[in-house]
Amino acid sequence: MSTEHLPIADRRETLRWLRGELRARWGRAAGAFAVGLLAAAAGVTPVYALGVLVDRVRAGAPSSDIVGITVVIVVAALVAGVTTAVSTYLIAGLGGRILATLREDVVARAITLPATRLERAGKGELMSRVGPDVAAVNKAVTDVLPTMTSSALLAALSVAAMVGIDWRLGLAGLVTVPMYVVALRWYLPRSAPGYAVERAAVGERSQLLLESVQGLRTVHAYRLETPHLQGIDAASARARDVSVNVFGLFIRFVGRVNRAEFVGLAVIVVTGFLLVRDGAVTVGGTAAAAVLFHRLFNPVSMLLYTFDELQAGGAGLARLVGVVSIPDEPREAAADGRSPVDSTLEVTGVRFGYPGGAEVLHGVSLRIEAGQRVALVGSTGAGKSTLAAVAAGILQPAAGSASIGGMPVGLMDPVLLRSQVAIISQETHVFAGPLIEDLRLARPGASDADIDAALATVGATGWVQALPDGVRTVVGEGGHELTAARAQQVALARLVLADPAVAILDEATAEAGSFGARDLEDSALAATAGRTTLIVAHRLTQARSADRVVVLEDGRVAEEGGHDELVLAGGRYAQLWAAWESRTPTFP
Amino acid sequence: MPPTTGSRILRRSITRNRGRLARGTGLISLHQLAEATVPVLIGVGIDRAVAPGDGTALLLWVAALGTLFVGLHLCYRFGARQLMLAIANEAYLLRGELAAKIVHPRRLRTDLRAGELLTVSSTDADNVSYLLDYVPRIAGAITATAVSAAVLLVVDWRLGLVVLVGTPLVLVGMQFAGPLITRRVTEQQELAGKATALATDLVSGVRPLRGLGAERAAARRYHDVSQASLRAALRAAGTQSRYLAFSTAGSALLACGVAVLAGWFALDGRISVGEFIMVIGLAQFLLEPIGLLAIVPSWVAEARASADRAALVLGAELLLPPGAVQEQKPEPDLVLTALRHGTLEGLDLTVHPGEFVGVVTPRSADGEAIVRLLAGGVPPGEFEGSILLGGVALHDLEPAQARAVMLVEPHQTDLFTGTVAANVAGPSPADRTRLLAALAASAADEVVDGHPDGIDRHVAERGATLSGGQRQRLALARALLAHPPILVLHDPTTAVDAVTEQSIARAVRALRQERTTVVVTSSPAILAVADRVVVVDDGRVTVEGGHADLGATHDDYRKVVLR
Repeated sequence: MSTEHLPIADRRETLRWLRGELRARWGRAAGAFAVGLLAAAAGVTPVYALGVLVDRVRAGAPSSDIVGITVVIVVAALVAGVTTAVSTYLIAGLGGRILATLREDVVARAITLPATRLERAGKGELMSRVGPDVAAVNKAVTDVLPTMTSSALLAALSVAAMVGIDWRLGLAGLVTVPMYVVALRWYLPRSAPGYAVERAAVGERSQLLLESVQGLRTVHAYRLETPHLQGIDAASARARDVSVNVFGLFIRFVGRVNRAEFVGLAVIVVTGFLLVRDGAVTVGGTAAAAVLFHRLFNPVSMLLYTFDELQAGGAGLARLVGVVSIPDEPREAAADGRSPVDSTLEVTGVRFGYPGGAEVLHGVSLRIEAGQRVALVGSTGAGKSTLAAVAAGILQPAAGSASIGGMPVGLMDPVLLRSQVAIISQETHVFAGPLIEDLRLARPGASDADIDAALATVGATGWVQALPDGVRTVVGEGGHELTAARAQQVALARLVLADPAVAILDEATAEAGSFGARDLEDSALAATAGRTTLIVAHRLTQARSADRVVVLEDGRVAEEGGHDELVLAGGRYAQLWAAWESRTPTFP
Repeated sequence: MPPTTGSRILRRSITRNRGRLARGTGLISLHQLAEATVPVLIGVGIDRAVAPGDGTALLLWVAALGTLFVGLHLCYRFGARQLMLAIANEAYLLRGELAAKIVHPRRLRTDLRAGELLTVSSTDADNVSYLLDYVPRIAGAITATAVSAAVLLVVDWRLGLVVLVGTPLVLVGMQFAGPLITRRVTEQQELAGKATALATDLVSGVRPLRGLGAERAAARRYHDVSQASLRAALRAAGTQSRYLAFSTAGSALLACGVAVLAGWFALDGRISVGEFIMVIGLAQFLLEPIGLLAIVPSWVAEARASADRAALVLGAELLLPPGAVQEQKPEPDLVLTALRHGTLEGLDLTVHPGEFVGVVTPRSADGEAIVRLLAGGVPPGEFEGSILLGGVALHDLEPAQARAVMLVEPHQTDLFTGTVAANVAGPSPADRTRLLAALAASAADEVVDGHPDGIDRHVAERGATLSGGQRQRLALARALLAHPPILVLHDPTTAVDAVTEQSIARAVRALRQERTTVVVTSSPAILAVADRVVVVDDGRVTVEGGHADLGATHDDYRKVVLR
């Protein structure tokens, strides 16, 4: 299904977004930059002052000259300490705030993405955006950005100080810049694919490990220990070899950086030699330039070595900005304060096809009077789930419409829509965290009593109370594992809390074990009592207990009527019912 | 005997990589020695070439600097490569040991969950191996500091003394902040991890969220966690920057103090201008090794914590006894006597060779307990009564042998990345005819029919690309193909429609003709083909007989299996 990827912003879009964010926080940004500049200046000052001292020594100045210079140096050291700290904090804070806004926008956008877009991109892609991509940007912002900024500023100010001593010394220092650039341009295009291969190898290793751990029961049952270990070992050895190879590349990069350092230092001293000979620069000035340059070895190489992390952060950023800038699906103008007159659900002449696929629904019409229960029956692929999603306003039909109480669902704004109709889809998910927090997603203000009442309605009180911490037990991923049937009950309890006038249940009981299924049918009946209900029935007992049955075949309504009526009619439904009944033994 | 404490794991990482580690550490120390020589050489160059304007000396100096850089890089190049090999090797070895322990047939007794076991065998194994990176770094930093101090002592003993006294003072000062920073950074990482986990969890439940219109509530919840994460990040940045203020100022004062003292001596004429410049360079250079020495203890502590977690796994007991008996009768019977475990309260059940027995458990906990016991994962001390396979107690059999005799396919299906064929047949290439027969019997042929790759159809991680029903039928095919003397199935057809369920029941019965089969289920289609049906309620057998007879005579039975 994942044929179309989510968009990735290009460089221009990403930069435009970044500029916008910085402009929105221009005060903080300017402050961080100014303090950073001050910190770099304070870092350069002592070396400069010591250069002056060298000249005084050579000129045979008195010992008392040390006092003034000492004061300058001590003050500079203290200022450097404070301003380095403040600027690091300000930069981390600025980056952190921008990132927090971005990740919240990304998550908000991800969970409100137009349904068809979500289906096409697949959930995995979306999860990689809100997971690894956010983590990559986070790492770049917290680990790399502050040091990198201060290193860059220190380098800039050191060169400025060298220019201040003599512009030719500054120029000599700048000789290394093209060498560094060449080294980076050699390294990055090689390391990026190398790291990608490394990540893939590590990913494969982790996946094999995790699968073996999660499927340990099966590994033991089928005595798969040895083949699984062999698989893990092979993947682990591959990851090891890839890492060693990528590191080989890094070592050669370091060689190029060392070469640039040597050339830069030699050129500065030779330039100083010539300038001193011509009397343009003092020996102290040359010494200061050389020491300033030497002192940049570490920060500059750190800057270069972390460049790929910055690049990874940039790539992650582009992918996040890409998600944020996905436009909303065009909706018709929202209705002007109108609301549905009752909870009658009506579907008229609905046609629908998934993008790039054949039409699934070929003009389906259906009406459920307020408070009635209709079961939708049909074989796999008949279009039941699609019809349910259209009726719930999740999918927009190509033709025809779904309406509640006379008002088309496409014209309702999202808040009104969901107060009218809720759908429980085939996919169950227990949200990680305390169970009560999961339920409160459906009604954020729900009191403990509301929660208890909802659980009682769906018949879940017993097992919830038996959980280690009752309703506050941490469930879902990494917590207490709920069985499929219990997860379904949780979904039904959410429905009770959301309290919509129209409820749509899509095969909500199909996957549960056979004993649980009957209990779940009771839960579903209780949860939908008093609501207009469309139930996609997999178990025909659900159809029998409904007010009316609609049989869908190949995207069209094939039959419609009461259970008994249809069984007597001897059509498609009668066939399905016969098959279902034969599953139930007829005892003498 | 694997190491069972964190410090033993760390020690072993050093001893078993000692060759590479020694060579690497030696070369990296030499590299640091060369690095410390650079500022000395700068001083010499200014003093001997630039100040007197001596062109020959300048050429010599450039040649010396070039040689130094070549040597410096070669040391790094070969040293770092040795260390990288050692690190990668250690991580690989440790990971292998951890994985072998985790999937040990006798099973691990541990409280760690799947995710935590994964973290131990990936992140923690890596962290332990990084010790082999820290050792040479420490050695290098000590070398660089010692060389610098030695040069300063030669220039003037008081300068050397300032470094020798000042460095430990600055280091000790920095150590105070260490634990606090670690705590704040850990807190920040935890909250960032929590935010990420929430985001992926919400996205993975996006369809249920939308069905309820809970998107806004979810976005608000993420907003809260994200803001908490931001606050933690700011707190951590605050702590780190305060630390940075003191460490930057402290080490700058130390460096400048040495330089100023040298300047004073130079003004007095006690040292030469060249020596003064040398001292300026050295004092600046010293900041690097000092900074490294300040941070290394927290790294080592991290490696130690990871080693402790690895020790939890490597040192964990095995759950099951080794089991001495290797031989088994070809067609053993299965005799359960007075079993008490979980909700079972004295279960007696005998299954004869070749019998097909349906077990109905109105209370699902009873069924789960039976399956858990038969799967062999419950150690002898944790249940009462006996499980005999052909007269031999289950846990007297060697675990792999026991699994070979009696196979339990769990209700919760696990599939693995690979092809349909590999999932159903396992690693050894299967007889294609038998494979297709097993797929047909479990109605799983639909999964491969009409797919271009047929039985080589790809199965994604944990079977995510297949529906629940498809996964269930593939697992059944796998169990049928394994064809064990005794097969135990648990609700194998819950995600299958009525018509298919009947054909599956008949086909399974036919395939298991000569062999023993126990199915815990309430499916009338399966119970109808069983030789005998046993009802287990309230922890013991309440009634048994043929499916039709029970249905005719027992109202309770009818209620349980009637739908």
